[in-house]
Amino acid sequence: MNKETIRFMLNGEQVEIYANPAKSLLHLLRDDLGLTGTKEGCGQGECGACTVLLDDVAVNSCLVPAGKISGHSVITIEALSKDGKPDFVQEAFVEKGAVQCGFCTPGMVMSAHALLRQNTDPSPEEVKTAISGNLCRCTGYKQIEEAILSAAEKLKS
Amino acid sequence: MMSYLRAESIEHALTLLKESASGAKIIAGGTDLFLQELPGHLIDIGFIGELKEIKEEKGQLHIGAALTHTLAANSKLIKDKATALAEASSLVGSPQIRNIGTLGGNVINAAPAADAAVALVALGAQAVLIDLEENIRCIPVDQLYSGFNCTSVDCSSEMLLKFIINTCEPGEGTAFVRFAARRALALPMANAAARIKITDGVISEAYLVAAPVKPAPTRLTETETLLHGEPAEESTWLKAELSAAGEVAVRGSLLRCSADYRKHLVGLMAGRALRTAASRAVERKEVR
Repeated sequence: MNKETIRFMLNGEQVEIYANPAKSLLHLLRDDLGLTGTKEGCGQGECGACTVLLDDVAVNSCLVPAGKISGHSVITIEALSKDGKPDFVQEAFVEKGAVQCGFCTPGMVMSAHALLRQNTDPSPEEVKTAISGNLCRCTGYKQIEEAILSAAEKLKS
Repeated sequence: MMSYLRAESIEHALTLLKESASGAKIIAGGTDLFLQELPGHLIDIGFIGELKEIKEEKGQLHIGAALTHTLAANSKLIKDKATALAEASSLVGSPQIRNIGTLGGNVINAAPAADAAVALVALGAQAVLIDLEENIRCIPVDQLYSGFNCTSVDCSSEMLLKFIINTCEPGEGTAFVRFAARRALALPMANAAARIKITDGVISEAYLVAAPVKPAPTRLTETETLLHGEPAEESTWLKAELSAAGEVAVRGSLLRCSADYRKHLVGLMAGRALRTAASRAVERKEVR
């Protein structure tokens, strides 16, 4: 197994990391870069807990080879809060009680961001589609949908 | 030693393939490949612009093999001229998978009921491949399959470039449908796609494909023959449902469902795909 230097934009900053390009982006983030906000659920693209933004669209970081991100932009859950304050999506999740055990939450929030970056006025159906790749085993989907619609409202005002 | 190389163009990808020791393989989205044991040397073609193009030329759509499902599902050209493919791509996996998984990968990974592959076969798509000597070969998508979960494409010496589809003309309609335990992230118990042409209320051409029936997306030729010359009306669709369920020999599987249920679903999906394709064929005629 040989390593190489991978250069990419991580949460708005240029980073360089010497790592195995065939490992997953998820493990690069968690093990090499210490960003443990991105969760590993199933590890095979079924649950969405590891969702991050790659060039502004949602991807399962467990399915992306680290080598693929060279020269591209990755945004993780760590980029959202500023000075310890939650951003508008995180705030909406708290307000609407959209967090139970919390394990799926980082992935849900990133899928919400992916949606709101492309569509600032989503319909309930569009919200459901946007989080259709994210499983919540506490089954609190209703509150999550409400939180994302509420975040969209905040965006407008 | 392993390596991960990013190709910037088709020529670059071929050069990298030639230069690398044997065992190098092409990777595009990688969503399927990454779950298997990775070969030692990977050449990533997922960011090559030319392989993501969608062009209409002389009554044909040329669709790049590295186009993601999200881009295929949202393309106006594909939605208008090859509706079944846009529909199938919009139903693959989940948004996260669709953002990175590609049409070419959907075919080359050769899962028996890969949604986009089923639509491509019903649309009569040709796959265009290039080898290390830059020879181009063109082959119908269903003839690429060589067995369960495998195709005749050797990803260490050949690369899938694009698909070519005859565009949908007035009087023609296409559709894709699937049935699964959940609306996302679930293997289809059965899926089907249809391409149908209606002339003066009568079916003059019909392509009907269902999966998982065999290792490759399977044309239901008996039902296609039955449809030919029949009026485009409900009694015909009911006959087609029975015929489609009757002509497939399927096995039950713990992953999907029992054989009897799958047979029933193949009929049901065939009927749904035909009805939708037919109503689109009629609409298309009225618009023009």
